[in-house]
Amino acid sequence: MEADFTKPEYYRNREDSWISFNERVLGEARDKNTPLFERLKFLSITSSNFDEFFMIRVASLKDMVNVGYTKKDIAGMTATEQLALILKRVQEVVSLQYSTYNRSILPALKQQGLEVVTRHEDMTEAQKKYADRYFEENVYPVLTPMAMDSSRPFPLIRNKTLNIGALILKQGDGKKEATAEFATVQVPSVLPRIIELPCESGRAVILLEEVIERNIGKLFLNYKVLCAHPYRIMRNADLTIDEDEAADLLKEIQKQLKKRQWGEVIRLEVEEGMDKQLLKILKKEFNIRGDDIFRINGPLDLTFLMKMYGLDGFDKLKNKPYTPQPVPALMDQDDIFAAIREHDILLHHPYMTFDPVVNFVKQAARDPEVLAIKQTLYRVSGNSPIIAALAQAAENGKQVSVLVELKARFDEENNIVWAKMLEKAGCHVIYGLVGLKTHSKITLVVRKEEDGIRRYVHLGTGNYNDSTAKLYTDCGLLTCSESIGEDATAVFNMLSGYSEPKHWNKLSLAPIWLRDRFYELIGRETEHALAGGQAHIVAKMNSLCDKEIIAKLYEASAAGVKIDLIIRGICCLKTGIPGVSENITVRSIVGNFLEHARIFYFHNNGQPEVYMGSADWMPRNLDKRVEILFPLENERIREEALHILSIQMEDNVKAHILQPDGSYEKIDKRGKVLLCAQDFFCKEAVERVAVPKDPVHDRVFVPAEPAAEE
Amino acid sequence: MAVKMFAAIDVGSYEVGMKIFEFSPRREMKQIDSVCCRLGLGKDTYNTGKISVKKIEELCAILNDFVRIMNGYKVSAYRACATSSVREARNHLLILEQIKRTTGLSLEILDNSEQRFLDYKSIAFGEKNFYKIIQNGTAIVDVGSGSIQISLFDNDKLVTTQNIRMGNLRIREKMADLVRNTLHIEAMAEELINNELASFKKMYLKDRQVKNLIVAGDYILELLKKPMVETGEFRVTYDAIIGKRPEEIARDYGIPSESASLILPSMTIYKRLIEEMGAEQIWMPGLSLSDGIAYDYAQKNKLIRAEHNFEDDIVAAARIVAKRYQSNKSHIRNLESLALSIFDKLKKISGLDARQRLLLQIAVILHGCGKYINLSDGAECSYSIIMATEIIGLSNRERRIIANVVKYNTFEISYEDILEQPGLTEKDFMLIMKLTAILRVANALDRSHKQKFSEVRILVKDGELQIHVDTSEDITLEKGLFPPKADYFEEVFHIRPVIRQKKTL
Repeated sequence: MEADFTKPEYYRNREDSWISFNERVLGEARDKNTPLFERLKFLSITSSNFDEFFMIRVASLKDMVNVGYTKKDIAGMTATEQLALILKRVQEVVSLQYSTYNRSILPALKQQGLEVVTRHEDMTEAQKKYADRYFEENVYPVLTPMAMDSSRPFPLIRNKTLNIGALILKQGDGKKEATAEFATVQVPSVLPRIIELPCESGRAVILLEEVIERNIGKLFLNYKVLCAHPYRIMRNADLTIDEDEAADLLKEIQKQLKKRQWGEVIRLEVEEGMDKQLLKILKKEFNIRGDDIFRINGPLDLTFLMKMYGLDGFDKLKNKPYTPQPVPALMDQDDIFAAIREHDILLHHPYMTFDPVVNFVKQAARDPEVLAIKQTLYRVSGNSPIIAALAQAAENGKQVSVLVELKARFDEENNIVWAKMLEKAGCHVIYGLVGLKTHSKITLVVRKEEDGIRRYVHLGTGNYNDSTAKLYTDCGLLTCSESIGEDATAVFNMLSGYSEPKHWNKLSLAPIWLRDRFYELIGRETEHALAGGQAHIVAKMNSLCDKEIIAKLYEASAAGVKIDLIIRGICCLKTGIPGVSENITVRSIVGNFLEHARIFYFHNNGQPEVYMGSADWMPRNLDKRVEILFPLENERIREEALHILSIQMEDNVKAHILQPDGSYEKIDKRGKVLLCAQDFFCKEAVERVAVPKDPVHDRVFVPAEPAAEE
Repeated sequence: MAVKMFAAIDVGSYEVGMKIFEFSPRREMKQIDSVCCRLGLGKDTYNTGKISVKKIEELCAILNDFVRIMNGYKVSAYRACATSSVREARNHLLILEQIKRTTGLSLEILDNSEQRFLDYKSIAFGEKNFYKIIQNGTAIVDVGSGSIQISLFDNDKLVTTQNIRMGNLRIREKMADLVRNTLHIEAMAEELINNELASFKKMYLKDRQVKNLIVAGDYILELLKKPMVETGEFRVTYDAIIGKRPEEIARDYGIPSESASLILPSMTIYKRLIEEMGAEQIWMPGLSLSDGIAYDYAQKNKLIRAEHNFEDDIVAAARIVAKRYQSNKSHIRNLESLALSIFDKLKKISGLDARQRLLLQIAVILHGCGKYINLSDGAECSYSIIMATEIIGLSNRERRIIANVVKYNTFEISYEDILEQPGLTEKDFMLIMKLTAILRVANALDRSHKQKFSEVRILVKDGELQIHVDTSEDITLEKGLFPPKADYFEEVFHIRPVIRQKKTL
């Protein structure tokens, strides 16, 4: 009988799994082996992660509940059930966040000579004087206090802003029964959240809201301030755009961006111990209750810790900044096209520099033989050299086609600006396909060479963003393989709205072909296992939550395929289910760099195949996006990719192993040589380029010596 | 030679496509890019008789984008061709004008035989085994939306081509009304086709052995997965898909569902043809009109060399027609050699080219076919036969020129009559005059049909076209009837043909 691998109990709720991921990030903040200031960074990340999580995931679950959507998720839970679970879990993690902050981080900072004054009352007299002066000179002019009474409605509180709510009482009205009124003031986001205070020994800082609280009386003259407490709200922000209705996508997104300020309030964070009456007003006005309210024991919105990380003078408490290394294959070669003609080049960022990718476009822009440059852009950096190069190329008379994905979440505004800039420069800008996000990362350079057209292609797992390329681990392939070149041309034709090609040589594309391709590749391992052969899959990605793919993996595991998954984030697959997933291991590496590459290895009965791509095993990647999976055909490059996978499999410092009970455990390091994959790759990249290139030009002549005795 | 880039644009009935080709001295001709866009021009034309303004604008937008792509590749030459959907549209001249104005492209309307010839060229060049295949009996089948074209080969020559007005789109539309009433769509489609096929078989197939069937175009290659299958394999695939819905086929074989719905009727047509012809192997080169346009361009510009002589096909097809109408074979042979010798000697004076030489040759071959119908009205009947007989490789205009040359071989030439005929210009009128003059002289030399003028030397000398004959036969008849033909010839070319007989004993 065929086993059913799709039972809900075999799956984990994806939000629950995501919260586990944020717990792992928090784990890094709690880890005493992490340099103190790096811990600040991780703690800040957990906070911004939660913000995004609420804005999108929690918001859409709320939407489901509101419209009475009853369909169950992968783990058999309704939206209501999920919300209950999530909020409970987030409450737990948030209290862990703040106990880390209060009990671990603050004392450690103090020990290192940095005092964070948590209550304005605790300042020294000199500090108070400084703070008050700072308030009058810098803060007061930009504050806009707002009160609510019968003639003034409750003001619009902006999404994600930090505010101070107060109850105020009109003075000198003693005869009548005075009622307290509500007033609020936004903590200005234009001012730094952290204010450094004068200090006799060591350094001290205080948060802006404390300084405002201390001086709040100055805002409401003739009133008595009964109490003042910070609060912060989160609104439903997931963009829902009806593309069929929206004639002009660009305009529609601009319109939606304005609307984002007005979404339903889905989370209220208040200071623990907030005045009951004040809280009651907020609850009523924001129409919120229960677990949606977070009572915070500490400062709201920990993302200020990222700013604290930036304080100078604490370099010894941070990781040494890593400089991405040159790519060995490109070191003796100024002409990137000539280098690619020699052989395919694998890039591994951020260990290797992102420059070749930028240079690829830059050089193409200048090269008189280049006819056309085509590129997909999803998220780019603020002042992107790639955009500049593309504009330059268009001005140089090249045909430049750029697919700009307007729907890249939270980058919409940014994307519109430079899309217009590119259009102005004469680029042919396409805005993607209706209903599909273009997530693939591909660049095509068409060159007219002596013996005909030659196409150079860059395919990547990460965005064309030179800033994030220093922080995200990603892979890229530079090739001039004819068959990939042809496919690349077809990809851009398809993205421009032309018919799909009759067949693909090498690439597999979502949303049409990629899912089936993965089924095939997994299914082939299953067959080899059933035939008694060796079968092995190693897959590295960001998230795994596609039900069908997981079912195929269970089926493969049950057939005896060994499956090792390296999944940084969400993983809805459960390990260790008897007869279902005993042959599957899942590890998550959360380190200094954000693990972002997608690499897939299939043993294929001894003829190994390795693929890379832009897609995770998530329904949205496989069904709703344009994604590309590309094979590594050159054996040397395949070996390099396998090396990356095997080092990650050996990591015992930053890796967490998924346990059958759903928890993630770090590896017991006793008696083992410590290996941190990210550090290893950093070191390796340095070593690879350290070999002296040209001994003749060395100034020092080194006399030969007999080999030293060991 | 530097690398050359060429664009071939195909404005079809439900798709507009462009392919970019590269010709380089060291490499073979290579396709660099291919874009294709759905646009139902045929729907407009077939339903309303013309293409709507909205569709024309869409077409112009697409073609403008094509121009952008062409510029991107620095294309040095292009050819844009439209087929039946534009050809049959009443407003086709306005369409061409609008396209020229908004895109700068000159769109050319191909008539059926030109189009089929290009399709055929794509196969002859693109199918590596073509030369080998046609050594045995072969048929090329091209199933279009409105008609089926069947071309037959015999001894490596294309001998006949016939158009059957029963295409996949037509069948699909006819079936659409009936689908609700029956479950046996397949059987009904077969019935629709059978009737048409029966006459074709009786007239042209006879007992020809057709071992190979070459299938042009379409998505059939995606269905059968390899470029050649045996009949048995075809049967297996046919049985597997015939019961399926188009969406299933689209999903299972990864082809667009619009095409999938056309594949079912196409497959039924192929199946019936295979059965009727007893074909053993089915070849699918998977080529399209754009490929043919590119090969044609390459051949004309000597960028590639053809293994196959396409003019031989045209000549062979003409001979088959002549044979069918029982023309006098030896008379034709003799006339061909006379007419072509005169043509060649006149080259400097006449300004005619190789293509026009071919037209003369075809005119000679077909000049007597009308006698089969009516002895006294042979010329008029020949004209009608030629106008009704499709000869692959000749355009309608060329065929009309031939028909006129044949007609005015005996009639007095009429300027008005010729210019009234569709598609003929003053230039064509001049060409018809010139070719007629040559045909008349040649014909006069074999008036008796006895091939008295078999040893002939032709010279241009002393302002005369001297025809030296080495014969002991009595040529009084020829000489007697010669002067009026010679008068006309002199009028046209300003050189007088004279007969010089050298008596051999």
